[in-house]
Amino acid sequence: MRGLLAKRMRFHLLGAFLVSMGAATLYKFAVAEPRKRAYAEFYKHYDLMKDFEAMKAAGVLESAPPK
Amino acid sequence: MANHSQFTFQDASSPIMEELMQFHDHTLMVALAICTLVLYILTSVLTGKLTSNTADAQAIELIWTILPAAVLITLALPSLRILYMMDEINEPALTLKAIGHQWYWSYEYTDFKNLTFDSYMTPTTDLPLGHFRLLEVDHRVIVPTESTIRVIVTADDVLHSWAVPSLGVKTDAIPGRLNQTSFLANRTGIFYGQCSEICGANHSFMPIVVESVPLANFENWSSLLSS
Repeated sequence: MRGLLAKRMRFHLLGAFLVSMGAATLYKFAVAEPRKRAYAEFYKHYDLMKDFEAMKAAGVLESAPPK
Repeated sequence: MANHSQFTFQDASSPIMEELMQFHDHTLMVALAICTLVLYILTSVLTGKLTSNTADAQAIELIWTILPAAVLITLALPSLRILYMMDEINEPALTLKAIGHQWYWSYEYTDFKNLTFDSYMTPTTDLPLGHFRLLEVDHRVIVPTESTIRVIVTADDVLHSWAVPSLGVKTDAIPGRLNQTSFLANRTGIFYGQCSEICGANHSFMPIVVESVPLANFENWSSLLSS
């Protein structure tokens, strides 16, 4: 009957640490890394002039009204 | 601008805002780890029947002092990195003055010619179809894309604050003081912001709209307006 609490605490403290690290890793690879990749992908093939021409044609720009 | 139920950041349009988003992800990850840890331990304590009469536990005391200090350092280092990055000497291509009034903004482009104008919110009754309520203005701030812009912010009467979330900019407008900030718009677009310091009855009705266009177009616009 000795050390029952110590044994349980050791087990659960390790478990808590692993679960929290797991949650952090899950967030990093499910949210943070995809977000970084999404931005990198967007700017890899980004054409400023093409985007500008599209907005101009749509008539949303004050400084470049559509002809 | 934000969607109606949006509680996350708006899409970043400047390198600093991208860094801030990544830092926020990092901080939220740390907060998630801590909350999970506490919740697990709390559940474990509440569902257990064993009690403790320990009065002295040096090892765990050391752990729960060192670990939080390590967490704080993990947060402080990227934070300071971005703070210093925001203050880098970046030789702006253009200087823009934003002056807060009750209840509108006025802008001055005085680098080359004297171009000044006021920017009032478009009232809802005059809003064209498809435009955004309480966010549109009669005269937008036009800036060239992919150029560092220096903004000098001040106010004429009471405190205001010039904020554009997408560009990662928020600078207080204080009467009698010039505050400087800078941004670089990565892409063409229209970026919305709102006055961010309580300034009276129409504090919610003096928005900011930054329109980022290619340099040639910006030059056309500015020469047209200053002629």
